Amino acid sequence: MTKKIIEVTDLTKEYKQLKAVDQLSFDVYDKEILGLLGPNGSGKSTTINCILSLLKYSSGSIKIFGEEMKPDSYEIKRKLGVIFQDVAVFQELTVYDNIDYFCGLYISEKKQRREYIKDAIELTGLEDYQKFYPRQLSGGLLRRLNIACGIAHKPKLIFLDEPTVAVDPQSRNNILEGIRKLRDGGATIVYTTHYMEEVEQLCDRIIIIDKGKIIASGTSDSLKELAKIEEKITVEIKGLSDEILKRIETFPNAAAAEYDGERLTVSYRSGSANIGDIIDFMRDNNLRYTKIYSERPTLNDVFLELTGKELRD
Amino acid sequence: MFVHNFKYSLALLLKNRQLVFWTIAFPLIMAVLFNMAFSNIENEEAFDAIHIAVVDDKDFHSSIFKTALEELSSGDDKIFEIEYTDKTKAQELLENNEITGYLSFSGDDVKVTINSNGTSETILCYIIDEIKSDIAVITEIGTEAVKNEIMAGNTDIDYEKYYKDASELVTNSEVNLKDTSNHHLSYVMIEYYSLIAMTCLYSGLFSMTLVNYKLANVSAVGKRTAVSPAKKGGMLFGSLAAGFVVQLAGLLLLFLLMIFVIGADFGTNLAMILTLSVFGSLAGLTMGIAVAVLIKAGENAKLTALIGITMAGSFLSGMMGITMKNVIDKNVPILNKINPVAMITDGFYALYYYDTPERFYIDLISLAVFSAVMLIISWGGLRRQRYDSL
Repeated sequence: MTKKIIEVTDLTKEYKQLKAVDQLSFDVYDKEILGLLGPNGSGKSTTINCILSLLKYSSGSIKIFGEEMKPDSYEIKRKLGVIFQDVAVFQELTVYDNIDYFCGLYISEKKQRREYIKDAIELTGLEDYQKFYPRQLSGGLLRRLNIACGIAHKPKLIFLDEPTVAVDPQSRNNILEGIRKLRDGGATIVYTTHYMEEVEQLCDRIIIIDKGKIIASGTSDSLKELAKIEEKITVEIKGLSDEILKRIETFPNAAAAEYDGERLTVSYRSGSANIGDIIDFMRDNNLRYTKIYSERPTLNDVFLELTGKELRD
Repeated sequence: MFVHNFKYSLALLLKNRQLVFWTIAFPLIMAVLFNMAFSNIENEEAFDAIHIAVVDDKDFHSSIFKTALEELSSGDDKIFEIEYTDKTKAQELLENNEITGYLSFSGDDVKVTINSNGTSETILCYIIDEIKSDIAVITEIGTEAVKNEIMAGNTDIDYEKYYKDASELVTNSEVNLKDTSNHHLSYVMIEYYSLIAMTCLYSGLFSMTLVNYKLANVSAVGKRTAVSPAKKGGMLFGSLAAGFVVQLAGLLLLFLLMIFVIGADFGTNLAMILTLSVFGSLAGLTMGIAVAVLIKAGENAKLTALIGITMAGSFLSGMMGITMKNVIDKNVPILNKINPVAMITDGFYALYYYDTPERFYIDLISLAVFSAVMLIISWGGLRRQRYDSL
């Protein structure tokens, strides 16, 4: 059986009247990437901060590597790496010195530290920026430095809290690639984000959180089954009348049809030739469209199905 | 861990330009400005004995102060030039700015009347206050001795002898003021001492900056540090040591500037002034740590609190007017006993006015105890720390 690295049981965190985390229970297994997905304010970061013993919590228990996690659990902390949402580096130190400082909090042996820093710099692609100060780096490079500072000591368990916020697509891909490498190197990863594409690409298992509660968990495919739709067809078209929209809603297998003035989206519960039906309908009614495409349901559809709201609301 | 933290703490402090300006460069600039502003006054207006009046009535003649005041107004190095007169005339002299202040007596009590807050007024109030507190001590000793005689069954008590002994104590020991020659007792030197005291307390900015970097509720790097296995004690001492080294370097620059460029004369007291500055800096550093740890707020709020505490301490210790020191010493003496600013300024005054170093050493010990208490409280607040919110 796969080893449990984190065991969270009935974790509850209250801020006065508000329950930020409400009886959350989940496990994280060895060498997996677990995604914590939820909208802003859903309790993801609070959960991570409780696990890391930064925040007091009202009730529940947290075990890491089989032991209770406390503020003075130094042996557990030695095996952790954390990349917070806010970039946590010193503006007064160079890229190399920043990594050395944080790595030095874990590794005291200088020679070993130098090798580890070199590896971290390579992994994050910062070779050409070692003598730069943070203020001289772009947003994407700064995020990469943030990651390098959190993983240089080669932790066994890594928490990444929204590491790609406000990052350009190229840097985002670099970061995601780096995270995969860390997992391949033997680390267990807990990844929080509100970007569903990232968890779909990256995570072995996903927990969807809303209002401090787990509303669903499983693999990306198993979660999508919860969406109760099989296919979404999007047509880019202008000037669609209400009457036409009502006729589309009556199509066989159609669950819903929505139109925002530029884009028509039809959700289907089942069926194999739905896109053909739409194309025929458009042609028969002389409706000119610019683009038409079919998609599998996304995690956003799952979230919509379970909560009645969009993931990014 | 200590060395690692110490090394990077040093780098963080020295590369923080704003911090370096306010803690190191600003006192240097102030020293130069003081010199420019006051040196001419010094040259033109060498220190003279302070002109005061004493209300010459029955109460004065029966007062134990009489001997002390006669002592202080005689000889070449006299501090006071006294005019003995009645109360109306004394008030008139004060209003005409012909005297710094006047003393009136009622029973064993003395009242100092001044019109403004200047250096001479400061010195007058300070000396009278000291004599009063010393007399109180001697009276207590005398009373205790008489009580002991009675308890021992001795009814033939020589009250005259006890009074004489007490007077001798006042004359010979308690008001035994040391070298008050002009080049020591100067406006500009008093300003320099205030500047040194301020510089000592500004060291709190160093330690506060470093500790903020270690607190998860203040900075992102603090969160990262808090989840690391680095023990808080080692981090605290590494930061303290780095702050101390930078502070000492700043103080050294200030003293070098004052002595070799400006030409300030610290006389024979230099070693003791340096020692007091080192202890004062330690108090400033540990106070910065305590404020950073104990006040659960953002960086700006903590900075405001530290400056506010320093300013309040300065005000209560009489750095902005000696009257307040007298009021506090009289009504809430404990306040200045726990006030590091009062400990530092009192140490400087003690060096000035007393031959015996006891009071100076008490101030040093008080600063050391204050620093130790601040450190213990801070360490207690740091360890096992979990926050309600981040």
